[in-house]
Amino acid sequence: MFINYEHENNVYNVTVERRKNNYYVTYDNSEYKVEAEEIKKGHMKIKIGDRIIKSIITEGDKEKFVFVEGNVYKVLPIELTGIKKSRKKKEEGDLSSPISGKVVNVKAKKGDKIKKDDVIMVIEAMKMEYIIRSPYDGIVQKINFKENDQIEIGEITAEVKKK
Amino acid sequence: MFKKVLIANRGEIAVRIIKACQMIDIKTIAIYSDVDKKAPHVQIADETYNLGDPTPVQSYLNIPKIIKIAKEAEADAIHPGYGFLAENPDFAKTCLDIGIKFIGPKPEVISLMGDKIAAKKTMEKAGVPVIPGYHGSKQDTKSLVKEGEKIGFPLLVKAAAGGGGKGMRIVHSKDKLEEAIEGSKRESKSSFGDDTVFLEKYLDKPRHIEFQILADEHGNIVHLFERECSIQRRHQKIIEETPSHIMTEKLRKKMGDAAVKAAEVVGYTNAGTVEFMVDKDQNFYFMEMNTRLQVEHPVTEMTTGVDLAKWQLKIADGEKLILKQKDISQRGHAIECRIYAEDPSNGFLPSIGVLEKVQAPNGPNIRDDSGIYTGLNVTPYYDPMLSKLIVSGENRDDAIQKMIWALSHYAVLGVTTNIPFLRKVVEHPEFKKGNTTTHFINNFFKDWTIAKKGLPIDAIISLAVYDSMHTKKQEIVRYKESDPHNPWRHMGRWRIGGKEGE
Repeated sequence: MFINYEHENNVYNVTVERRKNNYYVTYDNSEYKVEAEEIKKGHMKIKIGDRIIKSIITEGDKEKFVFVEGNVYKVLPIELTGIKKSRKKKEEGDLSSPISGKVVNVKAKKGDKIKKDDVIMVIEAMKMEYIIRSPYDGIVQKINFKENDQIEIGEITAEVKKK
Repeated sequence: MFKKVLIANRGEIAVRIIKACQMIDIKTIAIYSDVDKKAPHVQIADETYNLGDPTPVQSYLNIPKIIKIAKEAEADAIHPGYGFLAENPDFAKTCLDIGIKFIGPKPEVISLMGDKIAAKKTMEKAGVPVIPGYHGSKQDTKSLVKEGEKIGFPLLVKAAAGGGGKGMRIVHSKDKLEEAIEGSKRESKSSFGDDTVFLEKYLDKPRHIEFQILADEHGNIVHLFERECSIQRRHQKIIEETPSHIMTEKLRKKMGDAAVKAAEVVGYTNAGTVEFMVDKDQNFYFMEMNTRLQVEHPVTEMTTGVDLAKWQLKIADGEKLILKQKDISQRGHAIECRIYAEDPSNGFLPSIGVLEKVQAPNGPNIRDDSGIYTGLNVTPYYDPMLSKLIVSGENRDDAIQKMIWALSHYAVLGVTTNIPFLRKVVEHPEFKKGNTTTHFINNFFKDWTIAKKGLPIDAIISLAVYDSMHTKKQEIVRYKESDPHNPWRHMGRWRIGGKEGE
């Protein structure tokens, strides 16, 4: 059986085959012969040579979570189209809100010439303030929110034309 | 003793207090907002009352609503926990007026200590050392900038009514001062309804060391040693321990006496904490007094054997402290790590979602004060702290080693947590050496992100085996009959987990 896992924008191609009491996992040109049991739901005990892997796997809506050696990895099993899903990466000069909250202060207005790191607006969430600063020198084209507006995570706070 | 206590809080602290009550046969009343219907404190309480709308102001901060429930449920006393209404003098006063015991100090003491400026002046008068700064009434930005320049840089802008780092700013140079003052005032106004700020000298290599106090209503006061809480992010503690690495018998005596004195001069009753800053030369300065049970109280409990929550109940009921200062001793070393739903790689922004799996470590002297369980939904309404992991060992090294083990066996899946980050901090050589200052996170973990080394082979094998186990048998058979060396022939045909097309 052939599976693709996506993790942090990388795709891992894995094959796994069950023969008698063993699983044969192939990844990156290496084959691992393991014995495995699911002790209770999602709790895996896997014997590989003289080493034992203990892990916990849970399934979310789309993604799966693996807990191994104290770390949590989130993976997305992906459809076998053979094409890597391209995710939009955060561009340099991102002006999106890092959090859902309330706009408590707007420092810049349309037409303002601003410098890199100048404060554009201040968002408050969970009683903390998050400051949106200009990522570069430029001119403010548009401010998308006013004071006391609710803003959601990922929404674009303002548009600044790079000088 | 009280028959019934209402716990005006949620999360792990509500759970902690409910258990303390139940252990001494007091019935408990839990209150909960609409998003907390299935919260653990609601599950374990003897009676539960719904507060409705989850926004804090409409729920856990809503004094009339909570008082109405307390009357209706015939509560003898209210325990406020920490946060929310714990340090609200109006709430304490309202309780007093209607004859329900507020488990904490008197309203006027809360009031005095809540006003950080008045608190400092009181302490200064009593001979307790305080940090140089401006605590005056000239609150316009221009005057404050002038005062700030007098104190010099770096300096700290703090909200007079603040706590938990809210409204706090460090300023390193003159040109950033105005922005910091304005920001602090705004944050303070929206959090506490008061925009008074003060300025103070920012200390070199400061440690945050606080003393636990217990004071009964008959004039007996003891301290239960120190806790060092220097490891902070965004001015909020994340790791606390006792004893402090720099503590000596002499310094402990001096600071302990000062803490008792501080409690004495204000007529303090119940459990409280006197916070000090200690500089590199072991000078200590009074910071503030927290008039409630602290988040980090378990490290004191783990090393002294004293149940602080239980004593809060007893003291509030009028019992005398039978603990004498000379009888209180500390054994071993305890560390607490606060587990937050937040992303340390991304400015510690809170994360929300369903906890797909929660499994806490257990073992000798490992304590998990938790407000979560598998399946719980973490919402954006309240503080993102999920639980507290506390361990104690024979000495500091032993406790650190145990904490590393415990953190690496703490499984929280579904939302991003700070567990891997906490482990990195505890494993850090400077932490191990005890070189902990309030700048620790900034100095050593400023732009910390989780090392993106990709999926380790153990995770890949686990996933593959798991998926193989959970794939429908007929699909495996079909797979075996085909050419196993050409997996691409099966493109689009294999459904992972057997959920679709069954």
